[in-house]
Amino acid sequence: MKELEALNLPDNIGYTDDHEWAQITGETVRIGVSDYAQDQLGDIVFVEMPAVGDQFSKGDEFGTLESVKAVSELYIPMSGEVVAVNTALEDSPELINEDPYAAWIIEIKPADAGEYQQLHTAAAYLDLLKG
Amino acid sequence: MGQNMNITPLHSWHVNQNANMAAFGGYEMPLWYPTGAKAEHLAVITGAGLFDTSHMAVLSLHGPAVRALLQRCFSKDLERCIGPQKLPLIAGRCVYGVFLDTAAGVIDDAIVYQYGDEAYMIVVNASMGGPITAHLRSEQGDTPGAMISDHTDQVGKMDLQGPASARILKRILKDPAAVFEKMIYFSFKGSFNADLLPAEPVYLLDGTPVMVSRTGYTGEFGFELFVAPRHIDTLWHQLLAAGEPDNIVACGLAARDSLRAGAVLPLSHQDIGPWRFGCNPWLFVLPHSENGTTFTKDFIGAPALEAKGDIPCTLPFAGYDPRKIPVSDKSLVTDQDGKPIGSILTCTTDMAIDRIDGAIVSLATPRENDRPESFTPRGLCCGFVRLERMLPAGTEVVLTDGKRKLKVEIRDDIRPDRTARKPMQSML
Repeated sequence: MKELEALNLPDNIGYTDDHEWAQITGETVRIGVSDYAQDQLGDIVFVEMPAVGDQFSKGDEFGTLESVKAVSELYIPMSGEVVAVNTALEDSPELINEDPYAAWIIEIKPADAGEYQQLHTAAAYLDLLKG
Repeated sequence: MGQNMNITPLHSWHVNQNANMAAFGGYEMPLWYPTGAKAEHLAVITGAGLFDTSHMAVLSLHGPAVRALLQRCFSKDLERCIGPQKLPLIAGRCVYGVFLDTAAGVIDDAIVYQYGDEAYMIVVNASMGGPITAHLRSEQGDTPGAMISDHTDQVGKMDLQGPASARILKRILKDPAAVFEKMIYFSFKGSFNADLLPAEPVYLLDGTPVMVSRTGYTGEFGFELFVAPRHIDTLWHQLLAAGEPDNIVACGLAARDSLRAGAVLPLSHQDIGPWRFGCNPWLFVLPHSENGTTFTKDFIGAPALEAKGDIPCTLPFAGYDPRKIPVSDKSLVTDQDGKPIGSILTCTTDMAIDRIDGAIVSLATPRENDRPESFTPRGLCCGFVRLERMLPAGTEVVLTDGKRKLKVEIRDDIRPDRTARKPMQSML
């Protein structure tokens, strides 16, 4: 497993307690899981994603990540409607292990863009991981 | 690391490799290395993987009464267990079976190795050295003629598994031709301690005595290697270096679990355990007579096994994609109408297999046997369920954790084209 200092935690995204990230990309928000999450899970073998058009409130479960040893629920960092899912993950779930930030999972149209401000910064998220 | 957690001599190597470590059988062991469990699993199907298995326990048994003791306690009939002709166990051969209690519950599974008429070695699971030693001593009672010693943590063991295993091992053995001659499945040569268990010696090129057993627990071709603990580090590194041309990888327990599940091998205390043995894929460990109606010997658990009455059935299953239902308090098996019919014992993903038109194909499936040229399996969920009653292969049942539902198929077998029994000469 990676040392905490070795984790890749970009500054331009917001993090949740549950190790998801959100990145504002114009009108929409892309959502994925952090380097810490993929490292802890190990090889990801399947990603269960919602359908385009599904509505979620912040904190709702929107899918699951299947790794070799576990099944982990994905919780949405911000409320909104799914406008795209990353279909590349259907055949290549390992993209999340290779680069968890390039491999976004869903893209949403946020219901309240202000919710982004409630997410952790990279520094705050690292503090959280350090416990 | 938790208090009272045991470690193997390779523990610091695992940690230095940044392995994901976890508790297993009282030992802190690697689940996977940065290579990842999927690559580790696939290496054993297509090349070679090396597993630290020094957490397993070794017993030695000496004396004129040992064979009779094993006949009473071990499920296999040592007088009728070798090959299709059911010949007696002899020096240089080993057999897999289980130790049952009087209620026919499984205390542990084991491999019994015969060194001589009065010298045997038994390998049991991690932390079971003490309990099995105590069980055997208690069955022996005050009757002389059997000295039973528990060598837990005094033997180094590692498993070299995969089709490249013999080619790799050959590079570090002093006389590979002699070692590999007539080395059939479930035979062994050499000793890790010639004073304790004398045998025709096998040496590494550097002179280290080693015991080479053509066994393993992945369903694939390979060896279990036993050395004195002070040699384990050297042997581990020699194998990793010798295996470089064949892309050998160190493998953790996650790959071992997914490989053995796909090979329909039970994990003791999970798929077999303290419930009445029977109605499962492993009845071959019992000493059935030729017509299958009686046992060829009397042994502990036999009356309970012969008792009438329906018992739950443990059956292999495979799904249709890699998705799993983790085993938990909430997980269960239902029929297609949602009626509970049993529990999940093992649920993992065999990453080397996928379905093509419904049939399961493995990366090891020969091209001429329907493996497409570009076959990149996504993996299939598989494992064992314990159901109220027998269901025929092909029946679909549903695994659920109360929330997600996963349709899987009851199977006779899971991963096809396994290599464990391939002739030695074809693997060199």
